Amino acid sequence: MTKILLIDKLDNCVERWKAAGITVIGPVHRANISVYAAVEHASEFDFGLVLPDRSIKELFFPQTEPMLRYAIKKDTIDTIECMPPSGPRIIFGSRACDASGMAIDDPLFGWDYKDTYWFQRRNESVIVTIACIKADDFCMCTSLNMEPDSTKGSDVLLRPLENGKGWLVEELTDRGQEAFTQIAEFLQESADAPAQTAVVEKKFDLEASVAWLQKPENFDSRFWKEISMRCIGCASCTYLCPTCHCFDIQDEGDTYSGVRRKNWDSCSFALFTMHTSGHNPRSTQSARWRQRIMHKFNYFPGKFSVNSCSGCGRCSRQCPVDMGITETLQEISKLSL
Amino acid sequence: MSIEQQYQARAKELLSGGAVKMVIGYGKGTTGNRRRPIFISSPDDVGRLVLDDSCIINLSGYLVSEGLLSDEKRVAVFLRPEGIRAINILAAESQLDADQIVIFGFDVNDNELRALKGIHVEEFADVIGSIRENNPGFADKELLEKIEKMTAQERFAFWQEEFAKCIKCYACRQACPMCYCRRCIVDSNQPQWVNTSSHSLGNFEWNIVRAFHLSGRCVECGNCDRACPVNIPLRLINHKMAVEVLGAFDHVAGMSKTQEPVLASFKKDDSETFIL
Ligand code: SF4
Ligand code: SF4
Ligand code: SF4
Ligand code: SF4
Repeated sequence: MTKILLIDKLDNCVERWKAAGITVIGPVHRANISVYAAVEHASEFDFGLVLPDRSIKELFFPQTEPMLRYAIKKDTIDTIECMPPSGPRIIFGSRACDASGMAIDDPLFGWDYKDTYWFQRRNESVIVTIACIKADDFCMCTSLNMEPDSTKGSDVLLRPLENGKGWLVEELTDRGQEAFTQIAEFLQESADAPAQTAVVEKKFDLEASVAWLQKPENFDSRFWKEISMRCIGCASCTYLCPTCHCFDIQDEGDTYSGVRRKNWDSCSFALFTMHTSGHNPRSTQSARWRQRIMHKFNYFPGKFSVNSCSGCGRCSRQCPVDMGITETLQEISKLSL
Repeated sequence: MSIEQQYQARAKELLSGGAVKMVIGYGKGTTGNRRRPIFISSPDDVGRLVLDDSCIINLSGYLVSEGLLSDEKRVAVFLRPEGIRAINILAAESQLDADQIVIFGFDVNDNELRALKGIHVEEFADVIGSIRENNPGFADKELLEKIEKMTAQERFAFWQEEFAKCIKCYACRQACPMCYCRRCIVDSNQPQWVNTSSHSLGNFEWNIVRAFHLSGRCVECGNCDRACPVNIPLRLINHKMAVEVLGAFDHVAGMSKTQEPVLASFKKDDSETFIL
């Protein structure tokens, strides 16, 4: 016998959590796209999605947020620090790739400087992941040695029941357990069997690709030019990616006052590392695409012992010219034979 | 011989004889009906070229990639009528020399593929002229009508909701053949004209700037709309602007390679007393 949560009871849970002052967030539709967003009722969730179009990262690292307000006076500059809105949150119905993406980024945001914006939100959030029972052509968690029911980054893992009526509950962390204790009366014991998790075939040979990327001579391989010819240099891949974490700091305002903001940035852009002098160390699209791949599978793991990719497939799924991590590592796997 | 085979043969001939240095076309994509841009420079590779009704991306933007045409060699490219119009505009705006472009023209009507005869852009004048007559566009007619019927407030609310989704990934700009500026106005920071942040004001500014910069220039290929990862119906905006430009200036973009850019040319006898 194990603990289960029936879908019919979910609205009670949402109400209970909300009554306790918790914001409940999950996969929903908003103006023709799917996102993780706050709900009033459980009926707003769509658990039938393979995964939302936009990733979970924006709940921790939004596309733009104020850091500081400033006013320039005659002799002084007044500053007021801005912190993100605070309060407990439950993200119900994450996917394994999204949850693990947040765990992948934790060491980055806590490395030489502890990013309080990131960690305040991380510490106030409980991630309840639902194991995938369906995948699409772009899902690639298994290629990254993860599974549709990986627990990395999740506080609770739910396994869909075979009869479709609810989920088997596996509490993984203290925080997860606490959140589910609050709704204990809506849980029940049952012997119902969980459904088979989605079968996601491996799309490329990660080990061989990484070995190729690590060879210094391949930094200047012709491959980068060839694969990047079709790249149009937008940031669709990086902005939808749960693990891409680059940002830019911008002051917005007039001569006397303004706001300092933290905005997403992307290595796909020509301006990304442009120096004030006009020199750009990554002056071509191929150098920029190489950065994206090298960073994810060579530099990041070199520093934090984990690849900066969780296999969600969004980069390939939404690419206007059909290239992403899968397409690139498939080619690299071939080169490394 | 299928059109695909005919065009493969023509590509082989042009590349072998050195008449063109490269053929920009479509290749198989990751999934069944996805097509990706491919760049063929060896006659041995023409077998990779695919042509069917899934070939939708307008490839003309690649022609203005930095340095591609600077050696004055010819480049061939697969284009639908919208792409051919884009060549006219790029030529009219001095971004390329139309004689350097060899066109593999095709069109898809009701899922049926047909070849368009011609090599250089001026040979497609008839096909392009008929666009002026029928003004097909790619815009979703139903949505268009719905929006036209809205009050100004409702329309504002509609776009507010749509633009709220924008993440400023600039996929619309990068995918657009008409957005060829080496430094877009939103990337300019000395001075900074447009907020770079993706908040409501910044998103509005961006999308409105783009709508104005594309007025009288957009060929309604739909590249921007398809590229947008958050499904903002961008082509509606550009379509609306095209209709306005037609009404105000009797101008349809991309009709010939010598057509004057409608919003970038100045006439001494203009009836307006100021320019914006
Ligand atoms: S690189 Fe691509 S597949 Fe990997 S986490 Fe980012 S968007 Fe997902
Ligand atoms: S891939 Fe590029 S945008 Fe993403 S984290 Fe690395 S450098 Fe930043
Ligand atoms: S604005 Fe959009 S539809 Fe118009 S030419 Fe550019 S990409 Fe094509
Ligand atoms: S493609 Fe869409 S999300 Fe990206 S900048 Fe353009 S409108 Fe915004």
